[in-house]
Amino acid sequence: MKIKKTIIISLILAMFPAIVLINVVFAHKVIIFAWVEDGMIYTESSFGSKRKVRDCAIIVLNDKGMVIHKGQTDGHGNYSFKIPENIESDLILKLEAGTGHQAQWKIPKDELVTKASEQDIPTAMKEKEKLEKSPSILKIITGIVIIFLLAMGVKFLKRKTS
Amino acid sequence: MHISEGVLSAPVLATGAALALAGTGLGLKKIDYDRIVHVAILASAFFVASLIHVNIGPASVHLILNGIVGLLLGVAAIPAILTALLLQAVFFQYGGLTTLGVNVVVMAVPAVLAHYLFLPLLGKSPTLTFIAGFLAGLFSILFSSILLGLALWFTNQNFFETSLAIITAYIPVMIIEGIVTGFCVTFLLKAYPEIIPKKKK
Repeated sequence: MKIKKTIIISLILAMFPAIVLINVVFAHKVIIFAWVEDGMIYTESSFGSKRKVRDCAIIVLNDKGMVIHKGQTDGHGNYSFKIPENIESDLILKLEAGTGHQAQWKIPKDELVTKASEQDIPTAMKEKEKLEKSPSILKIITGIVIIFLLAMGVKFLKRKTS
Repeated sequence: MHISEGVLSAPVLATGAALALAGTGLGLKKIDYDRIVHVAILASAFFVASLIHVNIGPASVHLILNGIVGLLLGVAAIPAILTALLLQAVFFQYGGLTTLGVNVVVMAVPAVLAHYLFLPLLGKSPTLTFIAGFLAGLFSILFSSILLGLALWFTNQNFFETSLAIITAYIPVMIIEGIVTGFCVTFLLKAYPEIIPKKKK
């Protein structure tokens, strides 16, 4: 009876936020995604899923950490700029999303000089979708199971030592 | 509220990791054998809570629930929060592994303080129980915001501006967390009073 009650309460507690705010469930990770097309570098920034990082700084660095370019995302989390001239290293695009949130994306030097093939863009878009994907239910359940297994481990050790 | 990789300096990361390690050791030592399941329940709630996102202007905020975890667990909240944050970093890419220690300190220290500040109010009356929960939720986020500002300040950022920006961004979350925590503890006191820690005499 006690176990049943504990399980029910566990489920309620774990799902309570979802019940209250079911329509605003999104992942919370900061992502910047960039690709090269027709002499331009395009970027898209999001907090995962469809939540865009708006009006936040994008800093472009070379591999020595020197700032090459600065910009800001628009209302849709997008920002694009012309490939800077005389670049002889990979480019690191750093997104500063405020309150300790930051992400970066590296564009290899080779991509800056070669023209993107017809296959490059769809492949890149697939990668972007993968990055923005919300956490699956399986991952959530696995996480909860791991927490309970660890708790059981601690319980076992405590019982053994006492 | 999860600090990403690459934001903080090495000394801040090392200090955070050391404090988190010490706190986790203390928490594990202090966990009451009969309350380990409660620790797991609340760690699970914390683990899931960060998936709840609230869209407020350009800011990205989410539920944290460190208030209720600390209020009900005390020092045992530290290992609970560490486990949940580690799993969030691995499964959801929230925060990061190098920032885990700092994130634990930022979220667990206010949670533990909330336990000592507001637990005495629990169970006195339904209204006081709700108020205790509300204050625990609100205080935890407020103090976490200040600690987050401190961590960023130690990495050569402007403390006042940064903290003000963080606190402003989290004001709606403070209120939401206060209400959620208030309702949760009121409900738990009626439905599952065993989860409320007994006051030491």
